Amino acid sequence: MVGRKGFWIAVFLIPTILIFIVIYTIPVLTVFFTSFYRWKNFEPMQFIGINNYINILTGDEDFRVSFTNTFKWLLLQSTVHVFIGTMIAIFLSHKIRGWKFIRTAYFLPNVISSAALGMLFLNIYNPQYGILNSFIRLLGFKDFSQNWFFDDKTAFFAVTTCWLFYAGYIVLLILAQIMTLPESIHEAAIVDGATQLQYDIFVVVPLIKNIIGTSTLFAATSMLTTFDMIYLTTNGGPMNVTLNLPLYIYHTAMIGFDTGYANTAATILIILGIFIVISINKIFKLNSTIY
Amino acid sequence: MAKKNFIAYIGWFLQYFILAIFIIISIGPFIWVVMSSFKTSNEILSSAFSLPSHFNFDGYVKAVTISPILKFYGNSIIIAVSGTFLNVLFVGMASYVLARFNFKFRNALIVVLSVSLFLPMTALMQPIYMIIKQMGILDTRMGLILVYTALGLPTTLFVMRSFFSALPMIEESAYIDGAGFLRTYFQIVMPIAIPGFATCAVLQFLLCWNDFLFALVLTTRESIRTLPLALNYFTSQFSYDYTAKFAAIVIVIIPSIAFYVVLNEQVVSGLTAGSVKE
Repeated sequence: MVGRKGFWIAVFLIPTILIFIVIYTIPVLTVFFTSFYRWKNFEPMQFIGINNYINILTGDEDFRVSFTNTFKWLLLQSTVHVFIGTMIAIFLSHKIRGWKFIRTAYFLPNVISSAALGMLFLNIYNPQYGILNSFIRLLGFKDFSQNWFFDDKTAFFAVTTCWLFYAGYIVLLILAQIMTLPESIHEAAIVDGATQLQYDIFVVVPLIKNIIGTSTLFAATSMLTTFDMIYLTTNGGPMNVTLNLPLYIYHTAMIGFDTGYANTAATILIILGIFIVISINKIFKLNSTIY
Repeated sequence: MAKKNFIAYIGWFLQYFILAIFIIISIGPFIWVVMSSFKTSNEILSSAFSLPSHFNFDGYVKAVTISPILKFYGNSIIIAVSGTFLNVLFVGMASYVLARFNFKFRNALIVVLSVSLFLPMTALMQPIYMIIKQMGILDTRMGLILVYTALGLPTTLFVMRSFFSALPMIEESAYIDGAGFLRTYFQIVMPIAIPGFATCAVLQFLLCWNDFLFALVLTTRESIRTLPLALNYFTSQFSYDYTAKFAAIVIVIIPSIAFYVVLNEQVVSGLTAGSVKE
């Protein structure tokens, strides 16, 4: 029986392990090892030590910009975005009229493909017929015509708005956590003379610190993989002001065929990811990591 | 007391005001796009806020005829359904074993598999492209299905492992009744675990349906490309045909929204599963 059980355990594990090796393990190792090689245009690979790292960290303006942008977006997302999500979740936890509808409606931008959301914004910010410009013209500025995505002064702002205000999934997480808090805590606080605001800030927020940490983790790491929305709107332009690391890697590897060099950037992206996960775990003291 | 009431009143007002703004920026764009998809190109250019003069479906007809959007639709369905089925089947089996049996390297295996959750997959696009090419399934539906099956691995593993861990010891009685390992899993454990599988399937389906990056990198033939790439088509070739462009956006987003509205509870429980602690 034990032998047979062992056999079936192996059979049940093998497909997942194989998939994991093919799509996760081998690619991670490939990214890491080829980052030490010159490997361009399908020519034979040539070992060059840490030269790729020296070049990318010292003389590559595009890389510098894409790293800085990725980091800026990451900071904005783990502060402003998480704050908005937490605030709305707390509002909805008051069980105001229509809270379920609001929860569903606010989540809509998160449920459609980010490619479609990018296309939506491409039209919202269109200089001729987009709603934003039309609205500003309606306010009286008759000749207003701002090309939000393709003017280097506004492009970063325009791209950021594609995701910064849509914290639907954070609302789901935090609201679900608040609902597990026993009603007796709320009653006790109100009996003690606390206002609703005081209760929310001084009682609820400390109690949901862990889930806020988890939300921050998801929000921050999602910025390391943001690709479609930028690709379909500005494609990193104008003048690279909206370039981020995934887009940089795509341009370098899939269009420039400078594979070794692109994988140097990819290695740095993975290291940045590890750094972010560890820091957020430390900041929020997520002692029992969720995964 | 009156002062306190006044402050509370202001508070409630502010709360509704803020919520109203966020609702407008969340669903406003959708309403605008749907409205615009029924307008003529001239109406779109002349007044952004007006209602369409009459409902014309020209945009939809054009979107369907000038772009391969229907073909892409079919591909998306095939790929998302297969990717979801394989992911839930394989990862479900692994989660079951990892949750309910003790064996050598079990914990090490859990840790290694879990690392994939926070790995930025965009960093792996080049090697994944290369591997899929080496396997001879570049530019095929099979290639995308394999990658999507893997992309949902950490989420399904996590949800199903906690689901299986919470089940009572049902296997013992099944074994006593003479059921083997396979039969116990497929006929006794799996049916009980349907709520967990449903949650994972919904999340996995949305992941397959919405992915853009790997569809872009791993396919070039139009006959096998998926729906999000149809949008790409409209940025380059038909950027002047506004009505068709809006119609195309509506065609792409409608299934996700319908899916979400119908399976709202599964999506909500899926996204909160495990992260929220009782």
